[in-house]
Amino acid sequence: MLANLYIERAREFFYFQYDFVAYALGASVLVGIVCGLVGTFLVLRGFSLIGDATGHATLPGVAGAFVITGVQHPVALLAGALVSGGLGALTVGVFSRGPRVRPDAAIGIVLSVFFGVGIVLLAYIQGLETGRQAGLEQFLFGNAAAITPGQFWGLVVVGAILCAAIAVFYRPLALMTFDEAYAKAMGINTMALEIGLLAALSVAVVISIQAVGVILVAAMLIIPPSTGRFLSGRLSMVILWSMVLGGLSGALGAFISYLFAGVATGPAMVLAATGFFVVALLFGPQGGVVTQSIRRRRRQASVAPGGAS
Amino acid sequence: MMALIEWLVAPWQWGDWMWRGMLTVHLVAIGCAVLGVFLYLRRMSLLADALAHVALPGIVAAFLVSGSLDAPIMLAGAIVVGLVSAISIETLASRPNIRSDAAIGIVFTSFFAVGVILLSTVVRDAHIDTHCLLFGDLLGVSDRAMFLVVTVVPAVLMLVVVFYRWLAVSSFDLRFASAIGIPVVAVNYGLMTAVTVTAVAGFEAVGAILVIALIIVPGATAHLLADRLITMIAWSVAHAIVSSWVGMYVAIAVNTSAAGAIVVVGGALYLAAFLFAPRHGRIVMLLRRRARRRHDITPTS
Repeated sequence: MLANLYIERAREFFYFQYDFVAYALGASVLVGIVCGLVGTFLVLRGFSLIGDATGHATLPGVAGAFVITGVQHPVALLAGALVSGGLGALTVGVFSRGPRVRPDAAIGIVLSVFFGVGIVLLAYIQGLETGRQAGLEQFLFGNAAAITPGQFWGLVVVGAILCAAIAVFYRPLALMTFDEAYAKAMGINTMALEIGLLAALSVAVVISIQAVGVILVAAMLIIPPSTGRFLSGRLSMVILWSMVLGGLSGALGAFISYLFAGVATGPAMVLAATGFFVVALLFGPQGGVVTQSIRRRRRQASVAPGGAS
Repeated sequence: MMALIEWLVAPWQWGDWMWRGMLTVHLVAIGCAVLGVFLYLRRMSLLADALAHVALPGIVAAFLVSGSLDAPIMLAGAIVVGLVSAISIETLASRPNIRSDAAIGIVFTSFFAVGVILLSTVVRDAHIDTHCLLFGDLLGVSDRAMFLVVTVVPAVLMLVVVFYRWLAVSSFDLRFASAIGIPVVAVNYGLMTAVTVTAVAGFEAVGAILVIALIIVPGATAHLLADRLITMIAWSVAHAIVSSWVGMYVAIAVNTSAAGAIVVVGGALYLAAFLFAPRHGRIVMLLRRRARRRHDITPTS
């Protein structure tokens, strides 16, 4: 009986019986691809958690835009998210410089204080008459099904521009990622490039929050690139793997969230990405746990005197 | 003046929620502030971020296993899951192609996602909702939450006092600490357990995510103001107390989330210290640099 329900739901999903399913799926895949791309540069530079801070920092922008405009207009909310997310990312950059401030603490401070501002605004909104039906909570854990066709195409355009921009600056970005001093010596303006990367991060986060939510967007920036590192040793391949697996996680997340009532898209997507990560961690050709131990055993067997006979 | 005093006194006469909220938030904030100093010095601030997020799946797991939400069971579940996550983070970070910050990001987001999904499906009837998880409920602290805080925080503080030497030495110089025979691994996991327990105790009152602010911000502020461990702890606790009082009254005045207001006030205090701290503030540093430059130029001209 229950199984029939799920089969029925799966059929609905794959035949795109409802339009919103196609857009939810598309938006989730887009999140995976964009975050996988931007996240790779962050993870390789050791800035993984700056994405976490930026994600949490978008909340006051979303809530603030609602307070100012008084209506839930998606463009206004996302513009607010972009402003406060970008401000959060830049603040981490500013506070991390100089003595007496630890970079890890700077990330934690921006993350929690910006989120606190967002919570204050959210609580204030809920006290308003219009606030009850504002539905801003869906920004916390994501609700891909609420994305309209217009918003979806808007996100696609912005995402495409972002990917193109990164493709244009690929060489200097790659150089800075592996050897910042060398990049500087080559005459690359690393400061500007760094700010550009933070801006790209903010845009990626804003594209993503409707589908994954502000709290878990960090996962989509960190997990697929970390998976890619177990699958290849080349930057271009790590990026490719990260985008592909990010997109797949998005699709799986959208599917799971459609299948089971009450499961939000964001957490489902994150768990799909974690699943891929665990598989790569065990069996990946680059330092996978099982792969390594098999390789070691083979080497021992060929070296040991018994193995030669 | 009289009006001000009246305004300050009035909330205490509106029922017992005011002193309950004040007592709870002071205990939680002071506990977090003291532990936060040690985490800050060990560059483990972001582990607080992870452990606070992981408290949620811990509590949910405890509820799934036992079917109850009694205080000891909640604590046990959170401690177990918190330690599991801390060990997973360390194991992952020991692999050559994963940095420790990525390890933190991978583990806690995955655990948190599991917690959120369980909360919205299997354990929907447990009385922990995402609302309380995010906003906390300082103006209506339940008996259970208060009991937790009143028992846990003094115990944690007492442990900090007892093991103060060990904590202090190992926070400043890990290698020296292990050389003179301090069990640094045990101290490390003990500290993590203390953070988890405090986060769980504060969970219902201030929300899972705002607990992070109570742990990280006071210690970071104190580091701008103090040069010795004991004064740093004092500043950290002072930061916690001031932001609790001011935040509570701001929340009452504007009718918003008390936990959120406390965090915002704490952030403002940090910013003030960042700019105006007498020795390490940015403005003093700027003036000092300018003075030095003038001093350098005058003899030659």
